[in-house]
Amino acid sequence: MSNLRNLCSGNFRRYLRWGDRISGQLRLGLLTLAPILTVAVLLALLPPDGNERAEWAQFIGRFHPLVVHIPIAFLLLVPILELAGLNHRFSYLRLSAGFVLGLAMLSATGAAILGWCLGRSGGYSGPLLTQHMWGGISLAAVCWLCWMLRLSDGEQRSTFIYGVALALGVGLVAWTGYRGGQLSLGEDHLTEHMPGGLRQVLGLSNVQASLASAGANTFYGARVEPIFAARCVTCHGPEKHKANLRLDSYRSLMRGGKDGPVVRAGNVQGSDLFRRITLPLDHDDFMPKQGKRPLSADQVKLIELWIGAGASGTLPLAAIKDAPTGSASPTAVSDVTFEEIDPAEVTRLRAGIAPAVAELRKRFPDILEYESRGSANLILNASILGPKFGDSDLEGLAPLAEHITLADFSRTAITDRSASAIAAMKQLRVLRLMHTRITDSTLQRLGTLDQLESLNVFDTPVTPAALPTIAKLPKLAHCYAAQTAIPSQIAVPQPLIGKLVF
Amino acid sequence: MSNSKARPNDRGGREGNSDMHPELQMALLQAQTRRHFLRTLGGGLGTLFVGTSLAEYAGAATDAGRSETTSLDFTREPSSPLAALPPQFAAKVRRVIYLHMAGAPSQLELFEYKPDLKRLDGQDCPASFLAGKRFAFISGVPKLLASQYPFHQVGQSGHWISDRLPHLEKHVDDLCFIKSMHTDQFNHAPAQLLVHTGNARLGYASLGSWVLYGLGTENQNLPGFIVLLSGGKSPDGGKQLWSSGFLPSVYQGVQCRSHGEPVLYLDNPPEVSRPLRRTMLDAIDQINQQTYAAFGNPETITRIAQYELAFRMQMDATDAMDIRKEPAAVRAKYGSKPGEASFANNCLVARRLAERGVRFIQLYHWGWDSHGADPKEALNLGFADRCREVDQPTAALLADLKERGMLEDTLVVWGGEFGRTPMRENRNGQEMKWVGRDHNPGAFTIWMAGGGVKPGITHGQTDEMGCEIVKDPVEIRDLHATMLYLLGFDHRKLHYSFQGLEQKLTSVKPARVVAEILA
Repeated sequence: MSNLRNLCSGNFRRYLRWGDRISGQLRLGLLTLAPILTVAVLLALLPPDGNERAEWAQFIGRFHPLVVHIPIAFLLLVPILELAGLNHRFSYLRLSAGFVLGLAMLSATGAAILGWCLGRSGGYSGPLLTQHMWGGISLAAVCWLCWMLRLSDGEQRSTFIYGVALALGVGLVAWTGYRGGQLSLGEDHLTEHMPGGLRQVLGLSNVQASLASAGANTFYGARVEPIFAARCVTCHGPEKHKANLRLDSYRSLMRGGKDGPVVRAGNVQGSDLFRRITLPLDHDDFMPKQGKRPLSADQVKLIELWIGAGASGTLPLAAIKDAPTGSASPTAVSDVTFEEIDPAEVTRLRAGIAPAVAELRKRFPDILEYESRGSANLILNASILGPKFGDSDLEGLAPLAEHITLADFSRTAITDRSASAIAAMKQLRVLRLMHTRITDSTLQRLGTLDQLESLNVFDTPVTPAALPTIAKLPKLAHCYAAQTAIPSQIAVPQPLIGKLVF
Repeated sequence: MSNSKARPNDRGGREGNSDMHPELQMALLQAQTRRHFLRTLGGGLGTLFVGTSLAEYAGAATDAGRSETTSLDFTREPSSPLAALPPQFAAKVRRVIYLHMAGAPSQLELFEYKPDLKRLDGQDCPASFLAGKRFAFISGVPKLLASQYPFHQVGQSGHWISDRLPHLEKHVDDLCFIKSMHTDQFNHAPAQLLVHTGNARLGYASLGSWVLYGLGTENQNLPGFIVLLSGGKSPDGGKQLWSSGFLPSVYQGVQCRSHGEPVLYLDNPPEVSRPLRRTMLDAIDQINQQTYAAFGNPETITRIAQYELAFRMQMDATDAMDIRKEPAAVRAKYGSKPGEASFANNCLVARRLAERGVRFIQLYHWGWDSHGADPKEALNLGFADRCREVDQPTAALLADLKERGMLEDTLVVWGGEFGRTPMRENRNGQEMKWVGRDHNPGAFTIWMAGGGVKPGITHGQTDEMGCEIVKDPVEIRDLHATMLYLLGFDHRKLHYSFQGLEQKLTSVKPARVVAEILA
């Protein structure tokens, strides 16, 4: 205790001179005080408010549940060492107690910092969390107090206070740990699976048991919960509980979020959940957020009917007569996803052809382009050059033939001499030969284009003699054959039925 | 992106700020914003807590930082600002033909079949339809008005359509209707601006400009974004509808004429030969290059590029716009008569431009504002004329594109800027001499056809009066996001730094690609 007294009475300078062995430990104590106070101030000024923030803070914060077990173990070890050391046979154990206490103090401080990161950035809020966080910071402070007290020179009184502080620390571990468990596992995680007999002894109700068995026969279980499961729980569920709201069980739904209950039984308009799903789409409070598809009209109606009927978890399925049908099943189209481009992968894909593409793009600007920024497929639109593009130009593109997926030769001067160059484009999906002098002899050589989906011979001298080859193309969906020698009333081979467009 | 932005900066640094052109200096100062300041500040403070809390107050700072790392690069050689660039991901469509019916055609006389409205024709409008609503002209309690034309079902899809579009109805199985479009603007100019630029105020870049900026154009001898007008008047939104806004002005739409020179003063004046014109342009080019070297303003490059484009266009544009080159049978199919500024001629030109690789072709047809204040804007008179003017050409355009296989990778969009009320307009509370409907921003119908869109379906639904949306509402920005998706872009990735914000066509509000209509 004299250490503290010296500190308080301003004899700090004298104290430091008191001994080298102690001052090292004291310095550690003083050093640790700063982060503890910082976290306490941060918690006071920037309390968790249920909003999600910067990813990296959340990333670090996620280590809190891992790290938090270190001070728990160390701090519980300290009284064991101290008590066991009272027996002179084990008195050497007391020598380690200080070291373990130091580790407990440091790890408790670290855990508190991580805890604040997680609480502030992870979308948490509510009284549970506030209690847990203040508990954690108090625990770090108590560890610090124990550390400072243990430095004292063995006065009776300070030893007693040390013991009390240590006991307080153990109590705080239990209380804070319980609050933490409630945060992650649910408020009643200790009693949830308590055997019925023990529950009665403790005077707890058995309402959970009746709910668990309700399930599919209740209106909630069959019609309402599937809506939440499909549209809401990615943000308000076991993984994330934004605004401290979870919709993955009836209990958590009725408990509500950081602003209190979201469902008021029988009061549709007074239920915040209903208000938010029916706001104008561009309202800040609208749910689901950020461009996610709104609930369908039927889904909104189901929720409205259910709240209106008392928002019961046990109401039988058949109790609400005029509920919309079928909408609980997820028939809706899922939103599109946008491909991410991986530059390294694109470079790898294009490695073999990039020099040739660069070279040929100098010769044919604007007509040769990659299909997309993430692809090594090429699009060749020679129609832009029109009659200026001929057979000899097409020969120049030979090195890239197998990468071209769309080739448009409309209005170009190419002739049947290009047949082999076109046939070499094995990956072609779309081939346009509109307004060219291409004849059957070219088409008859295109049987190798097994990826071809669309073939356009509009306004060419092509005749029905080309049809047998065209009919064999396995993926062909459309063949545009107006203004050719193929009459529109022609009886076409079986595989071409419905595919010729006139 | 950062390279192009840094260029004027570097130049300014080398020459010293005092030598810098005052305008350029001003522009640089304006380009520095609170967001830049906060971003720099955020980087400087590295500690965990401060960083975390600051990110919250700076708000956009972290978001902006994140989007920058994944943003797409749209820089091009300064001399070829319209060079084609590949889309972000494989695109369904490679060009767009947008048919805008300026004035807002009545969906209740064309595509929205509402038998209940017929039953209630002439009755007072229920108060629930009027509560909390503002109308342009309706006052007091208006009467409900049944559709002025009979409806029937057509095609395999069994879509209900009125008798005003006898040609288009043959293509109904190729069309994808969105009946749940809505807007927050109820006057023509701002509503048209919203449809075409994603914002109801002036100064934003149009849809066509965004597409041209993102994809460039293949045919360097024609503008990549061409605008054609018909119907006797320009749309109320004016040239802002095809403006490039804050994008470099080289991406704005080029308005062409349907008769005479396609672009005014494109042809050489008498006595000026093409080689002489070339010599003149070379001289101007030299002066402009000097100006660019001195000030580094990208608008100078735009100027040079436009002169060169005009020179190349002298040959190609005149040819592309000349519908006399089409066989008489084709012209008859469109009902086109060379020399008129008609929708029919413009549709035929649109097809010719699409064939030549023009990226975005925008047609406006004026005269759909059917209030009933005079015969020209009456549902039973002028409206029928408008239908006649667009029906045959639209159908012919679709037929031509389909026959030539071009509907596979062309997107055709048809629509107005808002809808019309199921109530008859009663200007000043009086029954009017002619029959008309007021503006209804709450619900309107558009259709799309072409690559990537499900043909023969209807998305969204309005109430039994056609007044409000009851199912699957679609915002203008959702439409834009969907169009950009079909063109191969994530609408959030097609952006341009201006006034400290990553400006997007879909604005800062969340937009959704309407996945239900994608094939």
